[in-house]
Amino acid sequence: MFDKLLAPHYLWWLWDGFLVTLAISFLTIVFATLLGFVLAIARQSRCKPLQMLVISYNAIFRYSPLLPQLFFWYFGIGNLLPLEFKLWLFDEPQIQLGFMVLKMPSFEFIIGLAALTFYSSAFIAEEFRAGILGVKVGQTQASLALGLTWWQTMRYVVLPQGFRIAFPPLIGQYMNVIKNSSLTMAIGVLELSYVSRQVETESLKTFQDFAVATFLYIVAIVIVGTLGNLYQTKRLQIRN
Amino acid sequence: MELKGVEVIWNNLDYLMWGNFPGGIALTLIMSVLAIIFSTILGILTGISLTVAKGVMRQLLVLILGFLRAIPIIMLIFWTYFLLPVLFNIDVPAIATVIFALSLVGAAYIAYSVYAGMMAIKPDQWQAAFSLGLTQRQVILYVILPQALKMMLPSFINQWVSLIKDTSLAYVVGVAEFTFVATQINNRSMVYPTEIFIFVILVYFVICWLLDFTVTRIAKR
Amino acid sequence: MKFFTQNKVSRSLTVTALITLLFTANVAYADRLDDIEKRGEIKIAVFDSNPPFGFIDEKTNKMAGLDVDYANAIGKSLNVKVDLVPTNPANRIPLLSSQKADLIVANFTVTEERAKTVDFSLPYFATGQKFIARKGVLKSADDLKNLRIGADKGTVMEITLRDKYPTAKVISYDDTPFAFSALRNGVVQAITQDDAKLVGLLANVPAEQRAAFEISPFSITKEYQAVGIPKGETRLKEKVNQTLLQMEKDGEAVAIYNRWFGPDTPSAMPRGDFKIGDGQ
Repeated sequence: MFDKLLAPHYLWWLWDGFLVTLAISFLTIVFATLLGFVLAIARQSRCKPLQMLVISYNAIFRYSPLLPQLFFWYFGIGNLLPLEFKLWLFDEPQIQLGFMVLKMPSFEFIIGLAALTFYSSAFIAEEFRAGILGVKVGQTQASLALGLTWWQTMRYVVLPQGFRIAFPPLIGQYMNVIKNSSLTMAIGVLELSYVSRQVETESLKTFQDFAVATFLYIVAIVIVGTLGNLYQTKRLQIRN
Repeated sequence: MELKGVEVIWNNLDYLMWGNFPGGIALTLIMSVLAIIFSTILGILTGISLTVAKGVMRQLLVLILGFLRAIPIIMLIFWTYFLLPVLFNIDVPAIATVIFALSLVGAAYIAYSVYAGMMAIKPDQWQAAFSLGLTQRQVILYVILPQALKMMLPSFINQWVSLIKDTSLAYVVGVAEFTFVATQINNRSMVYPTEIFIFVILVYFVICWLLDFTVTRIAKR
Repeated sequence: MKFFTQNKVSRSLTVTALITLLFTANVAYADRLDDIEKRGEIKIAVFDSNPPFGFIDEKTNKMAGLDVDYANAIGKSLNVKVDLVPTNPANRIPLLSSQKADLIVANFTVTEERAKTVDFSLPYFATGQKFIARKGVLKSADDLKNLRIGADKGTVMEITLRDKYPTAKVISYDDTPFAFSALRNGVVQAITQDDAKLVGLLANVPAEQRAAFEISPFSITKEYQAVGIPKGETRLKEKVNQTLLQMEKDGEAVAIYNRWFGPDTPSAMPRGDFKIGDGQ
């Protein structure tokens, strides 16, 4: 019966892949939230060209599948980087930061992170926008009438409320980031899906292998959902 | 970009459009439309249940929805396709499996949008409607739901766009939709992946943009 | 409510499946060969994106290739209809164990580890693992040690490289065209595949680009491709082996080889001394 199970060393491979999935998802969430926030603010600005720019950015990234986008960054943009810089990245240099030595992640990881960030930020920007729109127009006008500047109105009136409205769908987007990170296997990021394919190739135990991978994805996503719920009930509701 | 690569796309255009019918862009459209219809109906019903249901039933519903939102779609397609025959001896065709899996996941997301929309409507509207002597069913059907659906339309469009893009995951069970046949051609011509996948991006973009444009137009009327 | 029960079923299904599959052995099947003969049809999984082994023919839009020819020959000798099931590395074994395919004839490389999960027929094709790089980069196998090398997912090439050249960095892509793009863009310095596939790949590259690349003069392995058969289906395996031996005897194996790798084909390559049935 035990020869049906995955050998322990395969489980370790999958675990390593899982850690990479967590790392790339976490970094994407941080960067995409910052970028999405900036995009949402820019969308509200009264400068028309800037608005149009953000609108097209959001449309292009949201209306095409992530997989071809990854190819575009990896094969297209990867090609434009200067050769010396690429060679330096390929070496995965170690950077001395005070007491810490940081190992640069692989070239694939960096491109994958960039592609995921651009893609996710468009969705996150839309969630922020929905939140901002959810704040009544009357409130904005009232604050402006009270003599607050546009920026102050945003900062103290619109954004705090908008954030609260946007929070639940934002958690949904964060879950999507984890799921989407699996596509970076196409450009060679050593994350969970990539590793599960390696295990499949070597052992041919596809069902067992994919079962472990599915389980780990669900665990990661459930953790994000639970943290989101906790934060929402603790911080966001009480102030209501 | 090389002219030769564009030529490869041009020469294979009808295979990309239809595949061995049904396939290609046509199959992507068919699966998308069906998944959108099923997931929207199922999502609205589930969203209402989420608002109305109480106690254990509601918790069960929340659990199921949570599971559907947590499992990567490619894995859901994989498991439904390969496990049903092993466990229950029924053989579901691959295309049906994909539509089924996409509908379930889409419905789980749409259900939460509907729920959020219904909750966002002020309690005094519910009360006003009840005090007019309407039953709960009538209140939801004629007063709350129409407003909620209108309010959540952007979120629906988002979900529909995701469904269209997610049909490309059907490759895992060998369904010859658009991305799949593009991959076949890519492997045959070997040296034009950039051209072929820029074409793929463009086609999805046009489909998704058209959907958004048309729905928004209709909604404004 | 209908939708509700549907949800529930699918959920508990997946959960039970996750658990049971981890712990249960294969369900006992009736003899597969009897099944096939009763059905009058054999379902054979072949690649659809792996020329010249299995791919979609440009003119007929049907599957064609060396593996497809073998699949049809097996069907003919069993005197049943052949239903070709398109497959890729992610679903070939699930197709086999869920009985959606009876055999895998998909450029399937034999390894000891894999033979624990499926049975293999006698090998019907032999290849060596070679490389494509810019001219002059690869003179001997030692040059591989410090390179970034592109491979295809689902092939054993990556495993071999990891074992033999642990200092080389291997990156697996979904398909050969992507690996080759990576080579052209300088993201990797060499790509690896069967010699048979590499010859075909270079034949597809426009002449002015082809001049920059070459296939390595050395190969680092000798590999055998065989038919994948569900574990324990000895009668089916016996039948497949007989068919393959007969094909070698009456010259069909050579004919098929020449159709795809003969001197007049774009991927011309001598068959060497390999014959079906020779000891590995």
